[in-house]
Amino acid sequence: MQSILSSMRALALRQPTGDAVRRLHLTAISEAARKGTREKARKKKVKVEVKKVGFIPHNQRDKKINVKRADKHVDDSWKQVSKDDVYVGRYYRWPVYSVAEAIQCHRETHHPSMYNVPNAPLNVEIELNMQGEKATRFVDNFQRMAMIPHKFEHGEERKIIVFTKGNDEILEAREAGASLVGGVELIKDITGGELLLSDYQFIIAHPNILPELVALRGLMKRKFPNPKSETLGANLAEMIVKFSSGISYSAAKDEYQQNFGLITASVGPLDMDAQKLEENLKHLLQDVNEMRPKREGRFITRVLLKSPPSSEQLKIDPFVYVPEMWDKSSAKVKREEAKKQEEPVETQEAVAAN
Amino acid sequence: MLKNICVTQLNFLKSASSLQQQVRTTFILKRKYEPLLHKTNERPRPMRPKHFIYELVEDTQVKKRPNMEVVLKTFVEGVGDKGDVVSMKPHFVYNKLLLPGLAAYKTPENIAKYAKTDAEKSAVKHSSAYAQRTVNMLETIVLAVVMNKDEPWVLEPWHIKASLRKAGFHCKEECITLPKERIEGPDLKKESKDFQCIITINKLEQATLKCRLHHWSTDPSERLPYVLEHWKMQSEPLLDVGSPEKRP
Repeated sequence: MQSILSSMRALALRQPTGDAVRRLHLTAISEAARKGTREKARKKKVKVEVKKVGFIPHNQRDKKINVKRADKHVDDSWKQVSKDDVYVGRYYRWPVYSVAEAIQCHRETHHPSMYNVPNAPLNVEIELNMQGEKATRFVDNFQRMAMIPHKFEHGEERKIIVFTKGNDEILEAREAGASLVGGVELIKDITGGELLLSDYQFIIAHPNILPELVALRGLMKRKFPNPKSETLGANLAEMIVKFSSGISYSAAKDEYQQNFGLITASVGPLDMDAQKLEENLKHLLQDVNEMRPKREGRFITRVLLKSPPSSEQLKIDPFVYVPEMWDKSSAKVKREEAKKQEEPVETQEAVAAN
Repeated sequence: MLKNICVTQLNFLKSASSLQQQVRTTFILKRKYEPLLHKTNERPRPMRPKHFIYELVEDTQVKKRPNMEVVLKTFVEGVGDKGDVVSMKPHFVYNKLLLPGLAAYKTPENIAKYAKTDAEKSAVKHSSAYAQRTVNMLETIVLAVVMNKDEPWVLEPWHIKASLRKAGFHCKEECITLPKERIEGPDLKKESKDFQCIITINKLEQATLKCRLHHWSTDPSERLPYVLEHWKMQSEPLLDVGSPEKRP
């Protein structure tokens, strides 16, 4: 019994000989395999070369670098309002002028006895909070045309081409001030290459010519008249006036701060009647407010009136002209109205079908 | 007798209401690993070393202290008038108001003690807490009055008002007193010459404002060469123009 146990222990404890181990790994196949894996590992190991970067001047450094930038939405509501009649501006909240007062201030600095540019353009800077319905979504940059009640010389070349069939409409469009009015023959000219569409900034069409106009869709691309951009409609005169005299403006988001948008536009020369300027500004603000996203809080955050060559910027209150906050109930009412308008049409169609 | 002592003691204690502050060496900690619950009617489990690892929740030493309220004993520029209860940052209160003896802790007794008497109320010396600061600032600047080089002009108060607005001071037209003599132009002899006018704040405080005339042309080629930091230069007063007199 003893001897059996000892022999078993010897068996268990016996080490495999070195020869046997070597033979196990040194077969030709396994060597090839190992060679492959080693090569692979060597290839995998990429030598990291540390590039030495010399000093780069601050103005030439990458602008995308994560720099902490000041918030462009200026909030000075923590400052106090002065009760004195003379005060140092920097310690207090910005004064809010009425539009008439602001215009008067600009007229003072542009008076012949000072800057002597009484007909300088009155520019308006509208600052927007571009945040959309969600915190991570933003309103897209937009370009629009605001219709204004009082015309002024905007200094831009705006040629308008109008497509319509009826003789009355052609006359109406000519009177309203379109550069070129025509019907099917105009479409033929364009397809024949005798007329260049790129000479005209705005293309307006009456719905009666729409089937023929489809031939030009490829040439016009995004300029093709559509009711959403108000270039397609029955009321030609109004559209032409809007595009020839309206304020063309574009809202651009800040490069580094996505929720800050800025619109710069001119509402008229400074020597125009103050009331007319105010009305133009009102229409511009109302047009901007139509782009408001459906969310709580302000869309237009600040409005400044400027006039070159003076660097003064005078803050005015835009909420006299447009609602400050988003009215949920009014939006609902509008939607319901739209629905109601749609419904009768459908019922009428149903009646006609019957 | 005993009652009297008690009353005085109580009064002593009363005034110290704003001194009741917690010692600011408290650190609020939280255990990183919660010890396990123990069984009912048994001894709690022994704590392991990991149960003595803490996380800092709040260091009260670096916490922002709330504002402190004090009663002013006299008029303090930029703070308030005598008897005003003002709320300011504690360090400012301690170093600038309490230590110099300009203010006392806000207690009903102190409020009553330092309230303005009727005689003091009628003799107004300062229209507001910040008027004196405005006076000081107006007297240090040299206001650039930019007038046209080509069109004839006569200096009027609204020119000064517009120039002040450009320099960041807001004021009304009726606050400005010009010299009695007419200042006319354009006259290049008057270029960068000084004159003085008086600004009256709240119809009470008066500041002498140093103004310097400059000529500007709308046409860039006609403009005078730019002088760097012209407000630091020595200049002469305008001839034949006196300074308006301050009210006594």
